[in-house]
Amino acid sequence: MNITQYYLDLFKVNRRQLEDLISTALRYGGDFSDLYFEHTTYFNLLLKDGVVSSGGFHTDFGVGIRVLTGEKTGYAYSENTSMEDMVKAAKAAAAIASGCSGHKVYKPTDDRRHDFYPVERDWRLFDAGHFVPFLTGLEQAVFSKDSRIVKVIARLSDSVSDVMMYNSFGELTCETRPMGSISVTAVFQQGEKTENKSVARSFRKGAELISPSLIEEIAKEIVAGIDERFCAIRPKGGQMSVVMGAGASGILLHEAMGHAFEADFNRKGQSIFSDKMGCRICPEGIDIVDDGTIMWNRGSGNYDDEGVPGEKTYMVKNGILNSYLHDRISASWYGVQSTGNGRRENFRYNPIPRMRATYMESGNADPKDIITSVKKGIYVDEFSNGQVKIGEGDFTFFVKSGCLIENGCLTAPVKDINIIGNGPQALSDIAAIGNDLKIDNGTWTCGKEQSVPVSCGMPTVLVKKLIVGGDQ
Amino acid sequence: MLAKDCIAFATANGADGIRISLSKSITDSCTMLNGELDKVSHSADRSIFIYLFADGRYGTFSTNRLEKAELEDFILKAIAMVRMLGEDRCRTLPAPERMAKDATNGQELHLYDLTYENSDAESRLKCLRNLSIFNSHEKMDTFSLISEECEYTESYEDCVLVDSQGFEGRHTETSFSAFTEMTIEDCDGNKYSGFWWEAFPMKADLGICKCGEIALKRAVRQIGPKNRKGGRYRMVVDTNVASRLVSPIFTALNASSIQQKMSFLDKSLGKQVFPEGMTLMDMARTPGKAGSRLFDTEGVATSDSPIIENGFVRQYFTNTYMSNKMDMKATVEDISRPCLQPYLKGNTLPYKEKDLSLEDILRISGNGILVTGFNGGNCNPVTGDYSFGIEGFAFSKGRITHPVKEMLITGNLMELWNNLLAAGSDARPSVRWQIPSLAFEDVSFSA
Repeated sequence: MNITQYYLDLFKVNRRQLEDLISTALRYGGDFSDLYFEHTTYFNLLLKDGVVSSGGFHTDFGVGIRVLTGEKTGYAYSENTSMEDMVKAAKAAAAIASGCSGHKVYKPTDDRRHDFYPVERDWRLFDAGHFVPFLTGLEQAVFSKDSRIVKVIARLSDSVSDVMMYNSFGELTCETRPMGSISVTAVFQQGEKTENKSVARSFRKGAELISPSLIEEIAKEIVAGIDERFCAIRPKGGQMSVVMGAGASGILLHEAMGHAFEADFNRKGQSIFSDKMGCRICPEGIDIVDDGTIMWNRGSGNYDDEGVPGEKTYMVKNGILNSYLHDRISASWYGVQSTGNGRRENFRYNPIPRMRATYMESGNADPKDIITSVKKGIYVDEFSNGQVKIGEGDFTFFVKSGCLIENGCLTAPVKDINIIGNGPQALSDIAAIGNDLKIDNGTWTCGKEQSVPVSCGMPTVLVKKLIVGGDQ
Repeated sequence: MLAKDCIAFATANGADGIRISLSKSITDSCTMLNGELDKVSHSADRSIFIYLFADGRYGTFSTNRLEKAELEDFILKAIAMVRMLGEDRCRTLPAPERMAKDATNGQELHLYDLTYENSDAESRLKCLRNLSIFNSHEKMDTFSLISEECEYTESYEDCVLVDSQGFEGRHTETSFSAFTEMTIEDCDGNKYSGFWWEAFPMKADLGICKCGEIALKRAVRQIGPKNRKGGRYRMVVDTNVASRLVSPIFTALNASSIQQKMSFLDKSLGKQVFPEGMTLMDMARTPGKAGSRLFDTEGVATSDSPIIENGFVRQYFTNTYMSNKMDMKATVEDISRPCLQPYLKGNTLPYKEKDLSLEDILRISGNGILVTGFNGGNCNPVTGDYSFGIEGFAFSKGRITHPVKEMLITGNLMELWNNLLAAGSDARPSVRWQIPSLAFEDVSFSA
C-alpha cells in the first residue's frame, strides 16, 4: 500500500470524493478551497505522591473545510467523514462566496518535502505499562538530587496526528506529526521557606525520546540554582540594562516582534511594523529567524496546515525588516509566496499566520564580556509567560530567576519579576549579541486565538534599557 | 441512552465505577473587517468523556468517535490502560448524597433561550452589521481609524452527566455575544487599540450593542501616554480586569494545590487572613446568569456559599479525591460564579449604604493610578509574590488626568489584599466573575 492510500483509507475517502467536496465548497464561486483531515490520539500519564495514579488517552477526528474569496473566509467542519456530513460542512463554508466577488490569485505551492521529524518508535505502539517505569525512575532521580525536595509531580504526554490536506489546485499532502513532552515540578522546603521549580522537554519525536539520559538531564537541571532561589531578593524596580541569557530569552523575540511580524496584523494595518518593510528596525548585524526546519523541534513542520512546505524565514536580515510571516491569505494579498506559517490548533480552526521556532542568530561577542560590560543591571535566564499589544508594541515577559549585575559581576539572585518594554525600542536598544545561540526545548505554547506548539531561542544579548518590576 | 449503554458495557467488562459526560455544542459566528463581511464559520461538536475506576485505579478518556463498535473498543482499551496504572484507593466516585438532584431537564437555571432555535444565518448577519460603525464613523482631526473588527457569535451547549451510582444531571445553555476591536493612529503615527464585548445567555439581553462606540472610546483615551515616575501609589483596578487579582486566590484555595504544598493559603482555613469586612461568595445557583450551574464536573450539587466571609477563609475547593486523600470535608471542585461584595475600609459590615461606582472609588482614593488592563505577568502560587505589567491612567483628586505607559506593579498578593481600600458594586451583569472595581493602598509601581 502506498503512503497516500494509508491516509485515504484512514479517513474513508477517495480522490473523486475530495474533488467533489471542493466543487461543492466552490459552488458559489470563491478563489480557493481546501480540506484538512485530522486524526489525533493524545496520551498522558501523571505521577504524584510517588504513584502514577492517573492517565488516559483521547481521540479527535474530523475534517475542516475552507473557502477563500479574496481575503474572506468561510469555514465549517465535520466530526465524521461520511459524504453527507462533509457536503453539509462544505455548503456552510461556501456561504462566504455568496455575494462576494473574488479578486485574488492563489498560487500552487512547490512540493519541497523534507522530513524534519523521522520517528524511530511510534508512540501508538506502546501502552502505559511501558512508560510507568520511566516516570517512577524520573521521580527517584529528582529526589536523589536534593534532600530539601518534598514533592515531585511528573507528567508524560504524547500525541500523534495523521493529517491529510487537499486543495482546489489538486494538491494532496499527507503526513504524520509526533510530539512528546515531559514536564517535572519539584517543591523544595528549607526551614519555613518553600520554593518550586519546573523543567520541561518537548520534541517532535517518537517514544525514543524516553531514555535514561533524559532522566539525568532533567534531574540535574531541576536542582540547578535552587540555593540561589531560596535567597533571591526582589530588586529595586525601574529602567535598567538587561542581559538576556542564552536560550529561553527567545521569548523576548516572540513577544517583542514575532507577533507584530505575523502578516495578518500587518495586512489589517494593526501592527506597529505595518509600514516598515525594508526599513532598518534594529542595529546592523542582527538576523532574526522564524524556522520550521529544525530537526525534531516542537515548532517544526514538514508542511504547515495549508500544505505549504516548512522553511526558514529571515524576518530581519542585518537589521532590516525582510519578511512577514505569511499564510496563503496574506501571501496572496502581498503578492509573495507563503512562508509556511499558516497553522491551526486542529481541524476545528481555520489556519492563520503563526510562529514556529523563533530565534536570533549568534553574534560575535563573548557572553562573559557582555556581562562584564554592564555596570548596573540585571541578568535573566528563566522565564514563564509573556504578552504583547500588537498596535502599541508594548510587550512583557515574566522572569522566574536571574541575578543583579553590579560593576560587571553577577551578584544577588532575583526571582518573580515582570519586565516590560516596547518592541521597536527594545530592538533598537540591542547593544551586544553573544556567540552562543541556544534553542530552548521547553513546552512553549502560543495562544493567539488558538494554541499551537512553538519554540524560541537566543544567544546572550544585552538590551540597553528595559523596565524591570520591583520594590520602590 | 448512549451514556447508560457505555456504563453497562464498562461495568460488564470490569469497571468498578464510571462517570460519563456527553456533550453537544453548536457555534455559529461571523466577523466583519472594516465594514465588510470577513468570515463566517459553523461548528458542531459531540464528544464523550469517560472517568473510569477499576481495581482501585483511575483514568480519564475522551473521543468524538461515537459509533457503538468503536466506542466499545475504546472502553475496553481504557479499562486495560487503567489496570496498568498505580493503585490509589482515594480515587472514588462522590458519595451519592452529595450529588445534585434537581438538574433533570437542563433548563432549571433559565440559561437556555428558546428563540435560539429560530435563529438563522440572515439574522446573525443582521446582528453583525448592526455592530459595525466603520462606515458611519466621522473623521477626526486627532486620530484616524485604522481598522475595525466585529464579531457576532451564537452558541448552544448541552451536557449530560451520568454515573454508575445512578446520578443523572443535565445542563443546557445558550450564549449570544458581540465583540468589537478598534485600532486607531494618532497624528504622530502611534497606534492604539481598544475592544469591548457583551455576552448573555438570552438574546434579548444583548439588545442593541454599543460595542463599536465603547471600543473606539477606549482606544482614543489612550492617546498621549506619559511616563510616570515609579513609586508607591494608591491603585484602582477597573472591574473589567479586576478578576486578574482574584484568580490566584482560587488557585491557592484548591485542595490539590494545598496538598502539593503549592499554595500561599496553606493552613488558612477558618482563619482571618483577609481584611475584616471582605466577603467573597460563590453564587452558583443564580438563575439566568453566566457561570451558574447546579452541579460541578463530578455531579456534586453546588450551593450559594461563602468562600471568604468577613475576612475568614471558609472553604477549600476539595473534590472527592482530595477529600479522601487529605481526610477533609468534600466540597465542590472549583468556583462557579464568584461575587465579591462591596467593601469600604473601616466599615466592619459590607458596604450597603449605596452603590459604589468606579467614579466613587476614584474619588475615595484621591490620587493614584487607575489600572484598566494587565499586560503579562504572573503570581507565584507558593509565595503569592506577583509582578504584572499594567496599562491605565494617572488620577488626581478623583479625576483621570492622563494615560500612563510601560508600568509594572510588584508585590505580594496577600499584602495587596490586606491593603484593600474599597470594592465597588459595579461588576458587569453579563460576566461570570462578579468582581467590581477595587482600590488598594500603597502599591509598588515601577516605571
